[in-house]
Amino acid sequence: MRVLTLSIFHWMSNVTAAILRRVGIFIVLIVCCGVLADSTAWAQPPEQTKTYTPISELPPTEQIPAARLLVAAYSFVLVAVFLYVVSVGRRLTTVQREVERLEADMKRTGRA
Amino acid sequence: MPKWFQPAAIVCAAMFAATPFVIASAPFESTMGLVFKIFFYHMPSAWMFLLGGIVCGVASVRYLFSSDARHDRTAWAAAELTVLFGLLTLVTGPLWARKAWGTWWVWDVRVTASLVSWMIAVAYLLLRRYGGPGSEKLAAGLALFGMANVPFIYISVNYWRTIHPATSVVPTLPVSMGGPLWFCVASFLLLFVLLFKMRVRLEEQRARLDAVYLSLDE
Repeated sequence: MRVLTLSIFHWMSNVTAAILRRVGIFIVLIVCCGVLADSTAWAQPPEQTKTYTPISELPPTEQIPAARLLVAAYSFVLVAVFLYVVSVGRRLTTVQREVERLEADMKRTGRA
Repeated sequence: MPKWFQPAAIVCAAMFAATPFVIASAPFESTMGLVFKIFFYHMPSAWMFLLGGIVCGVASVRYLFSSDARHDRTAWAAAELTVLFGLLTLVTGPLWARKAWGTWWVWDVRVTASLVSWMIAVAYLLLRRYGGPGSEKLAAGLALFGMANVPFIYISVNYWRTIHPATSVVPTLPVSMGGPLWFCVASFLLLFVLLFKMRVRLEEQRARLDAVYLSLDE
């Protein structure tokens, strides 16, 4: 009787261990599937192109060529600065010549 | 002209010749792409515009209190530079906005305040040119309004709802964008100093010419 009881307990412990092992494997598989599903979701390829859109159908800001605006901005700055330098230089030269001419006249006539 | 003027002018020309290469080394901004590069000329121009307004205002205050003609000449020179750099700012800004915002102009608080400040500087020059005797005091008073507008222009983007980029953009720029920007700022600052010196020199020569004519009349 005692031997029979021991053998039953032994059989039950084996069965419990087997069940626990299977449950463990199942949990590990579930976790692995979750992680894989998550990573594959991130690695989704871009959507398949079904139609080509002409550039004229883009929003207005995306149709405007940036290069022309950039060149216009830089050109305007450089040309405006150059013209201003020329303008101040010419005015300065004119006034300085006038001052020198008058001072020379004053010296010549002895009024200095 | 002082001895430092010519070497400084050569350095300034070399810096401006280098700016396209320096700007080209900066990366594109993620949403604006190529048109972002206008920022490297627009922002230094805007800073020189505000600097011109401050110099003109401070010199005008000193002239109003001291009646020293040197301060008046300084204010006049600074007002002309305010108009020049303001024009650069008000032209390059819309060229950028056309692509970035989809429109040339918006009645945004900073853009509008900048336009008002520029018009005050233009009014200053018109008053000096056509105002006749005594217009220098009136113009000095006008310059105070221009100077008072400068801090308003600067902080307006932080206090009003606006689409203009905030002041936090510049301090948070990465080195790859900030380096070229500060190089451009240094180039524009040197240009401002040189033009200012030239313009003050012109006013000094005009004052000298007036003195010579007066001595001839006596």
